Amino acid sequence: MDPKLQKVAEVWERDTAIVEGVDISGPWNRMFGQRVIWDYTPDLIEEIAQLPGGESFAWCYQCGKCVPVCPVDVVGDYGPRKLYRRAQTGINLLDSPDLWLCTTCANCLRVCPKLVDMVQIMPAAREHAMLTGRAIPAELQEALENTAKYGNPLGQPARKREAWVKDAGVPVPILHQIQRPVEWLWWVECYPSYHPRGIDASIALARIFNALGLDFAILGREEKCAGDSQRLAGERGLFEMLAEENIRTLSKYEFQHIVVTDPHALNAFRKHYPKLGGQYDVWHYTTLLARELPKLQPLLTKSLPYRVTFHDPCYLGRHNGEYDAPRQLIQALPGVEFVEMLRCRENSYCCGGGGGGMWLDSFAAGHQRRRLSEERVLEAVSTGADTLVVCCPYEVSRFEDAAKSTGVEGRLRVRDIAELLAEAMGLIGEGAA
Amino acid sequence: MRENGLPVLVIGGGPGGLEAARTVAALGTPVVLVERRHRLGGTPDAEHYAKLTHHFRDAEEALGELIAAVTSQPLVEVLTRSEVTACEGEVGNFRVAIRTPEGTQERTVGAIIVATGFQHFDPGRETQLYNYYSFPDVVTLSDMEAMLKAHQVVRPSNGQPPERVAFIQCVGSRDRQIGNEFCSKVCCGIASKQAIEIKQQLPNARVFIFYIDMRMYGYWENELYWPAQEQYKVNYVKGIVSEILPKGDRLLIRGEDTTMGRPMEITVDLVVLSVGMEPSSGTRQMARLLGIAQNKYGYIEAGGPSGLDPVATSRPGIFVVGAAARPADLDDTFATAGLAAARAVAVLRQAAVAAD
Repeated sequence: MDPKLQKVAEVWERDTAIVEGVDISGPWNRMFGQRVIWDYTPDLIEEIAQLPGGESFAWCYQCGKCVPVCPVDVVGDYGPRKLYRRAQTGINLLDSPDLWLCTTCANCLRVCPKLVDMVQIMPAAREHAMLTGRAIPAELQEALENTAKYGNPLGQPARKREAWVKDAGVPVPILHQIQRPVEWLWWVECYPSYHPRGIDASIALARIFNALGLDFAILGREEKCAGDSQRLAGERGLFEMLAEENIRTLSKYEFQHIVVTDPHALNAFRKHYPKLGGQYDVWHYTTLLARELPKLQPLLTKSLPYRVTFHDPCYLGRHNGEYDAPRQLIQALPGVEFVEMLRCRENSYCCGGGGGGMWLDSFAAGHQRRRLSEERVLEAVSTGADTLVVCCPYEVSRFEDAAKSTGVEGRLRVRDIAELLAEAMGLIGEGAA
Repeated sequence: MRENGLPVLVIGGGPGGLEAARTVAALGTPVVLVERRHRLGGTPDAEHYAKLTHHFRDAEEALGELIAAVTSQPLVEVLTRSEVTACEGEVGNFRVAIRTPEGTQERTVGAIIVATGFQHFDPGRETQLYNYYSFPDVVTLSDMEAMLKAHQVVRPSNGQPPERVAFIQCVGSRDRQIGNEFCSKVCCGIASKQAIEIKQQLPNARVFIFYIDMRMYGYWENELYWPAQEQYKVNYVKGIVSEILPKGDRLLIRGEDTTMGRPMEITVDLVVLSVGMEPSSGTRQMARLLGIAQNKYGYIEAGGPSGLDPVATSRPGIFVVGAAARPADLDDTFATAGLAAARAVAVLRQAAVAAD
C-alpha cells in the first residue's frame, strides 16, 4: 500500500465498477475509511495563541456563526471555527493550505460572540510560518519580492509610476516638480498607477478633481506601496520598511489631507501608520466626492441608462465603516437604476483580493470550487444589473476576469465609481473633451 | 424573640419580592412592599407569560396564588405605583423616601430586600443580522409567550399559523461583543417549553431549535428536553444561525450544522429569538440609589465576603433576590427570596439585642 494511505484506517477499491455504462475500475473508485481522531491537543492552538495578535485564536467556543458568513467557506471547506477544531485534532494551521485562504475580510469578526479576530490572527500566524522556515505559495512570494525590490507588487519600475499622468488629458501635478503646498495629497497606489484598468479609473478621477477645482497633487515616482496587504499576508517587516519610507517622503511636502484611491491604503494610514509616527487626515475618494456632491451634482449632466449594483470593499466598509458615500454617489448619477445585492453593506461578500489574496489567486483557486470573485459576479448578475460598480482598485481586474471565466462577460460590465461619474460629467467616453 | 419594631422594606413586586414579603410576614415581621407598576406580578405578568417551567403551571394562576398570599397578610403593606427615591442610615435603621401617588412618604425600616429583577435583552442590539425590527416574523421568547397565552401562535406578517418554527439560542448572551458574557441560564429551558407548547397548539408544525450548547440543568433535562425531543418531535440542531434573509414571504435562516460540519439553509415561517436576561432599569437605578456595588454587567454584586452568601450585597442590612443579582430561574428566585427574608429578620433581631 502507498505509505501515504497507511494513515487512514481502510481503503477499498473495487475490481470492477460501472457507472452509467462507463467502467471506472481502478483508483477512481477508491474509498477511504475516515481518519480516526486519536488525540486532542491544545498545543497547536497555543502555538498560534502565544503570538502577539494570535491570542483570540484560543477563545473559540464552536458556535459556528462565522462559517456561513465566511466567503471562503461559501466556495469551499473553511471557516474560522473549523481552523480551531482542526488544530485541536492535530492539524497544524502553520503547515496547512488553510493558512493562506483567509482574506481578512472581517465578516467572521462581525458576528463572533467571542471576538476571535482573524484580522490579527492571520498576519501573526503567517509571519510565524515564514519565520519558522515554512514554504509560502510561490505567487505570493513573488509579489512580496517585487514589493521589496520595486515598491509595488506588480514588479514595475518606480519611475513608471507616474507615467499614466501624460494620458490624463488634464493637469496632474506631481509634488517633486511643483514644490508648493497643496490641500490634497492624492495617494494613487500601485494598481491605479500601473494596471491598465486601474489607470482608466485614475484618469477619470483626475478629470473629476480638475472639474471640481480641487487643489491636489500626487507623489508620482516617490510613492511606494502603502503595504497593508503585504502586512496582512504576514510580511510585517516589509510593511514597516515601506511605511517608514513613505512617512519620510511625506514629511518632505506640505499638504493638509490625503485622499486615497485604495481602501487598503486608507486602512494602513488610519490604523497602522500612526504607530510608526505617520499621522494624517486620510479620506477615501468616495467620501471626499460625496462631501463635494453639491458642487458635483450640477456637473452630472449625462444620463446613464444602466442598471447597476455595488460591491462594498471589505476595507472600506467593514474595516473603516464607510457604506454610504459610494451609494450617495451612485444615486446622484442621472438615469441610473440602483439595485442592492443580497450580501451588501456590513454583510458584503469579499472579492477575494484582501489579506494577500490578490497574490494567491491560483493557489486559492486550487482549494475552492470557484473563486470568490466568480461567486460575487454571479451574485451581481442575479440582481439583473448590467454594471457592477466598484471603488477598490483590486476589484476591477478581479471581477472582469471573473466575468470572463464564468461566461457572463457580455452581460456585466465592471466600472469604478469614478468612471461612471466622469462619464456622467462628459469627461470620458463618447463626446468627451 | 424581640425585634426593634421596624419593618422590612421589599423593593419590587415580582415573584422574588412577593416571596420575600410573604416569608418575612410569615416570620411575624411587618413588611412594606414597593412596586413601580400599577399591579403586582413583575415581569411574568407584564410580559404575559403563559406557563411556568414547573409542571407547565399556568403563570397567571400560580402568580395569582402568590399575590393573594401576600395581600391577605395583615403584616404586609403594599404600595403600588410607588418608587423609593432616597435612602440613608445603616443596618437596623434606614430612613427611606417613597414616592407614592398620594405624595412622598418618609419611612424608617430595619432592613431592605432588593428584588428589582431583569429585563429581556433587546434584539436590536444583537450583532448578527436577525433583523428583529425589520422582519415581522422574527419574534422573541416573550413575544411567543404572549402568543401562547392567547392561543394565537401565528406569523405576525399574515396572521396564519406557521408550518415551520425555528428557535435561535443565545441571542444576547455569552457574547463578548455585546458585553453580556454570561449565560442567561433560562433560555434553553424556556425555548424547549415553548417548543412543546407550540406542538400542543399546532400539532402539525415543525419546530427546530438551533443551539450552541443545550444547558438543561437538573430536572429540565427530563421534564423539558427529553419530552420535547422524544414525545413532541422537536428538532434540535447543534449550530447557531448566522443570519436571516427574506425568501419570498418566508424566512431563510443560514447557519452551520457544526456536528456535520456542513452549511445549512433552512426555510421557515417564524423565527423565535431566545433572548437572554439583562439587569432591569430598576435594578440599575436602585443599586445606584442604595449605594450597593454592581458587577460589570450592571447586576447587583452578591456573595458577601465569603462568596457563599447569594443574597448579601456590599452594604450590611441590604439584601438582593433573584434576577437582580444574576440570570436566575424561578427556583433561584424563590430560594434567594426565602434566604433574604430570613437574613432581614435576623438583622432586626440582632439590632434589638444590640440596643439593650
